[in-house]
Amino acid sequence: MSNQKPLYRELETKMEEAEKLIHALRTQQVDAIVGERHVMLVRLKQAEENLKSSRNQLRALASYLLSVRENERATIARELHDEFGQALTSLHLGLSWISRKLTPGQRPLREQIRSLLATTTSLIRSVKNIASELRPGVLDQLGLVKTLKSEAREFEGHTGIPCRFKMNIAKARFDRSAAVAIFRIVQAALTNIARHAHASRALITLMKRKNNLILTVMDNGKGISRKVIDSHDSLGVTGMRERTLALGGTFTLGGSRSKGTILTVRIPLSRVLIGTTS
Amino acid sequence: MKAKRERRRYAKPGGETYLFRLFVAGNESNSSQARGNLARLCEEHIKGRYKIDAVDVLKDAAGAHKNNVLVTPTLILIKPLPKVTVLGNLNDTKQVLAALRLNGDER
Repeated sequence: MSNQKPLYRELETKMEEAEKLIHALRTQQVDAIVGERHVMLVRLKQAEENLKSSRNQLRALASYLLSVRENERATIARELHDEFGQALTSLHLGLSWISRKLTPGQRPLREQIRSLLATTTSLIRSVKNIASELRPGVLDQLGLVKTLKSEAREFEGHTGIPCRFKMNIAKARFDRSAAVAIFRIVQAALTNIARHAHASRALITLMKRKNNLILTVMDNGKGISRKVIDSHDSLGVTGMRERTLALGGTFTLGGSRSKGTILTVRIPLSRVLIGTTS
Repeated sequence: MKAKRERRRYAKPGGETYLFRLFVAGNESNSSQARGNLARLCEEHIKGRYKIDAVDVLKDAAGAHKNNVLVTPTLILIKPLPKVTVLGNLNDTKQVLAALRLNGDER
């Protein structure tokens, strides 16, 4: 019995030492493990902090790049509309004037002018389309909700895939950059549906729930694989995710062959709305 | 009797010199913190009565191993006896002072 006492004490000491060691490891207070001949550095905490910091830097950079791109697009759209559009309109007016001045005997010239007028009209339409693609004027004029409604209609017109739009936030006033971000997310999602989904139906919803704005874009197509969602090559998906995170929101994308694809973006209302009108 | 024994566990002002051996890994984050914390605690509680012997395990791994040091930072109070071992960056002042029997000497 007396022999067991020192043994017990020794065991107790070892237990205490082990507990101290576990505590130090758990609280990340250890920076090296000492072996007989080698020392292994433990830099978990530092690595974690470095990773967090570079992630934040990347996010800030992505957000900055997105805003720079939006500004560039707006500038190009304005230039196209104001300069090029104006010049083409003047050209159209000039050609019409010449056409009116031509005598019936100048038929070949008249034909040539008519053809040039048609080309000019088509060019004006193209410039308008490109400018509107770069910076949807309708977003500034009509607001986000009506723009999304019109986008759904246009999508249906281009692709032949019926696309519905539902919302419960008609009277809200959106922050300008948030509206652009949401619009671009919807645009990218619809592009993906048109290109990859093989869907026969699509639905966009924009709902206010508690303190969040929830945007969903879904289809009944062939779904999306985890590999594609996580791939860094999926620039469309990455862009949508970055735009959401820049607004302090969460982004989920999922789907299956039987249920199609569903994209859900949840953004705090405080980051999206300027105010609501009754 | 019990009270006397309790008192003897703490450092007396103007008493014996403290000898510490601190095992660190170069300038790694926790090791640097441990160095700074120990120097501060000694200055605040046993000024002029301490000696810190710092051992860099990156230069002398075998020496650390011989002293049964498994991780860094490890602080060993060598004198006065009994020996005490404290692991970690010594950020928790209250706990470190108690472990090193210095909490009876607070100013």
